[in-house]
Amino acid sequence: MKKIHILGIIVIAVAIGAIFTALNKTSTYADFTEAASDPSSEFHVVGKLNKDKEAIYDPKVDANLFTFFMFDNKGTECKVVLHKNKPQDFERSEQIVLIGQMQGQEFQASDILMKCPSKYNEGQPTANK
Amino acid sequence: MEYIGEHLGIGKVGNVFVILSFVFALLASLSYFFAAKDNDDSASWKKIARISFRLHSLSVMGIVGTLFVMLMNHYFEYEYVWHHSNRIMPMRYIMSCFWEGQEGSFLLWTFWHVVLGLILQRTAKNFEAPVMSVISLVQVFLASMLLGITIGEYHLGSNPFTVLLREHPEYSKIPLFSDANYLSNPAFDGRGLNPLLQNYWMTIHPPTLFLGFALTVVPFAYAIAGLWKKQFNEWLKPALPWTYAGVTVLGIGILMGGAWAYEALSFGGFWAWDPVENASLVPWLVLVGAAHLMLINRNKGQSLFTAFFLAILSFLLILYSTYLTRSGILGETSVHSFPTAGMAGQLLVYMFCFVLLGFVLLIVRWKHFPKQTQEEGIWSREFWMFVGAIVLLVSAFQISFYTSIPVWNKLFGMNKAPLKEVIKFYNNWQLPFAFVVTMLIAVGQYFKYKNTDIKEFLKKISVSFVIALALTFLMIYILDFDDRYFSILLFSSIFAAVANIDYMFRVLGGKVKKAGASIAHIGFALVLLGALISTSKKEVISQNTSGKDVAQLGKSYSNNDNILLTQGDTLKMGKYLVTYVRKRHEGINIYFDVDYLTQAENGNLVKEFSLAPLLQTNPRMGNVAEPDTRHFLTYDVYTHITFADMEMLKDKKETADEYAQAKNHTIKKGDTLFSSNAIIIFDSLSVNVDKSKYQLKEGDIAVEAHFQVLDIQKKYKANPIYVIRDNSIQPIESRVDELGLKFMFWQINPEDGKIQISLQEKKSNVRDFIVMQAMIFPYINILWIGCIIMAIGTVLAILERIRKK
Repeated sequence: MKKIHILGIIVIAVAIGAIFTALNKTSTYADFTEAASDPSSEFHVVGKLNKDKEAIYDPKVDANLFTFFMFDNKGTECKVVLHKNKPQDFERSEQIVLIGQMQGQEFQASDILMKCPSKYNEGQPTANK
Repeated sequence: MEYIGEHLGIGKVGNVFVILSFVFALLASLSYFFAAKDNDDSASWKKIARISFRLHSLSVMGIVGTLFVMLMNHYFEYEYVWHHSNRIMPMRYIMSCFWEGQEGSFLLWTFWHVVLGLILQRTAKNFEAPVMSVISLVQVFLASMLLGITIGEYHLGSNPFTVLLREHPEYSKIPLFSDANYLSNPAFDGRGLNPLLQNYWMTIHPPTLFLGFALTVVPFAYAIAGLWKKQFNEWLKPALPWTYAGVTVLGIGILMGGAWAYEALSFGGFWAWDPVENASLVPWLVLVGAAHLMLINRNKGQSLFTAFFLAILSFLLILYSTYLTRSGILGETSVHSFPTAGMAGQLLVYMFCFVLLGFVLLIVRWKHFPKQTQEEGIWSREFWMFVGAIVLLVSAFQISFYTSIPVWNKLFGMNKAPLKEVIKFYNNWQLPFAFVVTMLIAVGQYFKYKNTDIKEFLKKISVSFVIALALTFLMIYILDFDDRYFSILLFSSIFAAVANIDYMFRVLGGKVKKAGASIAHIGFALVLLGALISTSKKEVISQNTSGKDVAQLGKSYSNNDNILLTQGDTLKMGKYLVTYVRKRHEGINIYFDVDYLTQAENGNLVKEFSLAPLLQTNPRMGNVAEPDTRHFLTYDVYTHITFADMEMLKDKKETADEYAQAKNHTIKKGDTLFSSNAIIIFDSLSVNVDKSKYQLKEGDIAVEAHFQVLDIQKKYKANPIYVIRDNSIQPIESRVDELGLKFMFWQINPEDGKIQISLQEKKSNVRDFIVMQAMIFPYINILWIGCIIMAIGTVLAILERIRKK
């Protein structure tokens, strides 16, 4: 066997390893119901903020605690406890992606991603400022 | 309706340039194609081709110039100008407006291709026709991205000159346009530039990065030309300096992006393995591999197929990265991908055309390759360079595959989301690759082509090895570097730097001209070393001082990264004491001045430095936090605002005398409460209430609570009274007017002696506060210095290559 073949085998093995871990080391996009059915796993939940309920952030008590209510894409509402600061412009978010897991009736989120339409596309031409 | 004051003429001019640039690119490509075929007419085809490409170049310059004129004069009747600029924006960011949109960024890319094409017309000599034919073909595709014409149902490109704001489907029905004179409405302004891009780095990072992108077309075009004209070895010599240039410029461009992220974004670091970052790193890794294989071939004629493959692949990966970032497919996984502009289909077609062109030609020509007579020896330089290039390729593959998860989701109908700890995932995967590559960088030059006397080799390398080992242990000791997995990379990158320094002085005799490769490798090793130390020893010094333990929720929740600073207070943070001094408004920015102090030996506080992280308020695009960083030689102190109460930012004088919302407390004797300005101690309860003083009736039950209220200077008393009259609770308040505090006594629990009180503070009491994050990045300067050294090294190598001609 030539060296080049040995090298080739190693390369293929590593590449398969890369593919395998890439497909396994992921979490899944889910809704609250799915997250509740498997409280031990981490999920990405996509949804919208419930703007009718109060979002509570009192940095004087805990700068790393923020609670609010969110609807997932199926319309299920759930209380969310985010263990981070309240993101700037939270209320403007059009879509929220939460990363975390369900504990009882609350979704414990360790991270949040927001899609703010305003950042790129929104804003209509207007003459009233 | 006749609109007044619109500048429709300039759009027509721009549009003519767009069409001309497309037509001349097509003409140049075709005529260069015929010129490249060896026939009688090739000389005259070449003449036509040259003129066509020059006219194409002029048209592109025309497009660029027209768009600039439109931006500078605020012609908001054009959607592109309205979308990407406004009047209040500083003029120095006009360049950023230019390339903020897809059209502008394609234009920037096209522009660099034109510059490179004009140079190659003069320098490529025999290769001019085939190389320029390929580059012109690339230009045909790029120019089509700007055409903005509709054929049947299909839109081809997006044209900044033909899309008027009032005709744009999303905005056409807006009342503003019922006014024929809407442009002279003084309040009408552009939407403005994304605040994140209003940054110094953002004016230099995109042009550098796009020049890097553009440079990959040169080795690609040469490789295609070499295959096409069966000049399997001849293409290497002229293509090599271009490849080195691509490595340098693309590398600098990527690191500039890192510098931008570090200085202006608030994720706390220079590299986050974001899909957009990866999309430019992957082609760079492959291009580095290509450069090394081309060098082997040039010197020894080995591994020709792989050299072709990587040279072609790096350009294709640039196209793929364009697709990833421009098609909108990354969606939720990336913070800074472009929104879709309906060009995804076009980009895919573009990509597949070049994949076909490159790989079909490579496979067809493979059998014509000169036969490799013997295998590389195990102790030869070319063998280990080949191994290195393959490691880079595999590393690129791993990054690319994971980054492409949204693509796999779409292709195979999966629903996979990237990991939360994606940075750790990539780091762990990439570390072994980085280790092998740095080890090879260390020993590579000590190997000789063909064969190496292994005793000689060990003798030479052992000095560097011992020095590197000693330095590594020293570093581990100084830095308290406890991660064993990462310390192997610490060693290998130090080894790489030391061995190359040694090689430069002992073997090359310190001749700088010849030492380009060594210097570049030293730089690369330092980049890795700086990245490794500053990332793995990054220290978050802002800690949650609320006393609540969020870590108990699980491992991923030990997220105590924020500190709450009330104006005027001084809190301990890491080795510093910090004070939030004031906020300042400057234009759309609000700066928060934070003083960093240390305690001198006599106990006095000494101000070390001030940082002013800012919030950019932008009514249309939202608020953006921008960090501020203090640079020291051996470490950086980085701070950014994670939360500021925007209500607090308004003037609140009118309501200052009102009481804020009450806070309820259930306490027992001896408990302490905190208001924003005082410490409150619950002393005792008494039933001996002076009934006449409080106008109490005979049958009332009254209990008085005694509080001590202490602020810095004085001690006050507060005595709220709990009263039951006719079976209802009618408490009597107690106020400390000097401190703006109001107490109410609501309930007694006779069983455990606890009482419930409410405490209200005047709004004027509530002082401004911020929530802030602060980190220390040690030795990040090694990274930036490495970057500069790497650039110097590659420039020297390019000069040496050109000189050898």
